[in-house]
Amino acid sequence: MTRVVVSGLGVVSPYGAGVKTFWTGLAAGDCVIRPLTVFDTSGFRSRIAAEVPAEALAALAASRRRSRADRMALAAAREALADADLAKPDRMDMALVVGAVGGGMLEGEAWYWGELGGPPPAPDIGALRSILPASHADMLAWRLGLGGPRESVVMACASGAASIALGGDLIRSGVTPLVLAGGVDAITRICFMGFNALKLLDPEPCRPFDRARRGMSIGEAAAFVVLEDVEHCRGRRGRALGELLGAGVTTDAHHVTAPHPEGEGMRRAMTAALAAAGREPGDIDYVNAHGTGTPQNDRVEALAMARVFGEGRVLVSSTKSLIGHTMAAAGSVEAAATLLALGHGLIPPTANLRDPDPEVPFDCVAQTARPAGLRAALSNSFGFGGQNVSLIFGR
Amino acid sequence: MMSGRRVVVTGMGSVNAAATGGAAVVAEALERRPSTIAPLKAFDLGASTSRLAAEVEEAAFMAKLDPDSVRRLSRICRMTLAACRLAVEEAGLEGGERVGLVIGSEYGDFRSGSEFFNGFVSRGPAGLSPMLFPSTVMNSMAAVAAIVLGAKAPSVTFNQATIAGDVAVARAAALIAGGRADAVVAGGVDEIFSDVYRNLVRLGALSPMGGGLPEGCRPYAPDHNGPVLGEGATFLVLEEREVARARRAAIRAEVLGAAWGGIPVAPHTAPAGRRDTRAIARRALGQAGVEAGSLARCYGAGNGDPELDDWEVRLLEADGVRDPVSLAPLFGQHGGLGALRVAAAALDARAARPPTLVHGIARGGCRTALVIGPAV
Repeated sequence: MTRVVVSGLGVVSPYGAGVKTFWTGLAAGDCVIRPLTVFDTSGFRSRIAAEVPAEALAALAASRRRSRADRMALAAAREALADADLAKPDRMDMALVVGAVGGGMLEGEAWYWGELGGPPPAPDIGALRSILPASHADMLAWRLGLGGPRESVVMACASGAASIALGGDLIRSGVTPLVLAGGVDAITRICFMGFNALKLLDPEPCRPFDRARRGMSIGEAAAFVVLEDVEHCRGRRGRALGELLGAGVTTDAHHVTAPHPEGEGMRRAMTAALAAAGREPGDIDYVNAHGTGTPQNDRVEALAMARVFGEGRVLVSSTKSLIGHTMAAAGSVEAAATLLALGHGLIPPTANLRDPDPEVPFDCVAQTARPAGLRAALSNSFGFGGQNVSLIFGR
Repeated sequence: MMSGRRVVVTGMGSVNAAATGGAAVVAEALERRPSTIAPLKAFDLGASTSRLAAEVEEAAFMAKLDPDSVRRLSRICRMTLAACRLAVEEAGLEGGERVGLVIGSEYGDFRSGSEFFNGFVSRGPAGLSPMLFPSTVMNSMAAVAAIVLGAKAPSVTFNQATIAGDVAVARAAALIAGGRADAVVAGGVDEIFSDVYRNLVRLGALSPMGGGLPEGCRPYAPDHNGPVLGEGATFLVLEEREVARARRAAIRAEVLGAAWGGIPVAPHTAPAGRRDTRAIARRALGQAGVEAGSLARCYGAGNGDPELDDWEVRLLEADGVRDPVSLAPLFGQHGGLGALRVAAAALDARAARPPTLVHGIARGGCRTALVIGPAV
């Protein structure tokens, strides 16, 4: 069976631009969930989020005429390609799989608001045309010269992880030896307002796996990985940062927004990923959990993990406690975190975890990063629509 | 043949401007070719330069649904459910852990997104509806359909301009060939919504695209001057051939080749001079072991957009394929159109004709090619 390695990584996160900045923040356990400044939050239950810093966004080598999300995506994708040291000819067959939800909605909302509030302005073609999730992929393929299959995957909060799972499939099925896969989402009013309306946001920075957790915190980011057929990578003397050992993709088919109460779909995703990777539960040393901080998600995810791994049999942490829930980007951001944890032998902590929930029978690496010799790690991503994706990476 | 497991078509269901039903109904619509493009009725267009559409009557798809069970669902979710149900009923398929769902859409449930946002604009935070919010995410149709179908394998939504249905079918075939599912309900859906329609007109994206010629859908014709928007949902049941045989399903056609790719051009452009170095159509024909000259026909993505039509013709010619046929004048341009082209090709296969190529190309360069033929 074709082995798939990760040969490039790029991240724009609430810590700033670049993988190094991202890892420094994670390793330090630095929670960057703060008052939201991108738009007015008056009257909302939660008024905080993890934004990409304005100065980092301004410094990105991307036109300010592009949407906020496009700028983040382009910077992260460029970093991943540079990290993989891919020449232009390599890119001509390279596939692009982008997990997206919000598209250029932040700018589209501003346009729409203007429409409702006064006389119709002249159509802002840029704002309207980049509003859909697929606009990221079209822009990236053009700017980066990617001529292989191009897909825009919308699987809610599992989109970024799904892009990696589906990208790996393209390599294993022989469609292409190279895939740029990842997710992007900027903070939008619709997303922020929607999760507020559902009362799923914690007014304080989120506290995954804590007994007193009250919900999630929104974030924004872009993260891309270069997936590559191991033989192709060897042939061009590329450097493998890690291996995508397997992926499981399942659907609850239970409820539009709530997970299956027993975590049945989550369990199947993890089990399928283990089977695809040819690994036993005991081979997994660390789980980068979906870990949103909502009472329901964390309880159900813990239940599913307990059924797969056994209570307390694996170390668990939540990247979302540090940089919020970055929506469509979350799966790829957390895949990057998982790969970096494997490479550095250090598990990023679960921030704000002071009173562990007894219903979560795992060591969730509270507050401080922990050194650990890691052989393989699993990253979970779940989303509305009962979407479950589990990715397993090895060193 | 495609690499991996073989993929066959065992059912289809469609909600479109011409007909709502399974294979027999779609075949009859293709044969009869009723006139479906007419002045838009759903909302007032004021002084719009575009006025035509291929609309779906509410009663047509509601007749396939239990009104009580779908009363909280949006219109696009209802169309999706009706088409999916028709497809699985025709295939005799039951849900399960090996049944997946792949949906392509260009605009998704824009109506719910707009209603949600308007709630805030009019009443502030108190006006936000938690019921509407999940529908603002484009996978909401898949979320609803997966529950009803019991589809527990991957449920994937692709956002794609013009050829959303094509991408969905191609990817669904790959999910089966690669072993992620044994059966996948795959297709596309879009609805006509006032905000989308009006802004497409303002962007000059619909016939007559700001020009002076009469409005209309005339793909590949010398006087083509833009697409006419349609709506609807079309889904096919794709299955691994041996699984379909084991349960004695009626096999209608086989997906003999499926390739998809992207030509890196500027977003929203269709540069007719730009070639496809990966020769996607030739690639799909190669998988099928079919010569371009021996195809029964080619259903193209042509929708009347002059630049896109011309580019498609040139790309196909470069792959040895000529004279594509468009179904856009019958159904209007929408996310389900690609799946309708695949359905038409599967119906062609009933007559044991040579294989049919279903080709797709969108502004921005996303390209698909599916070769559909009689099951061997």
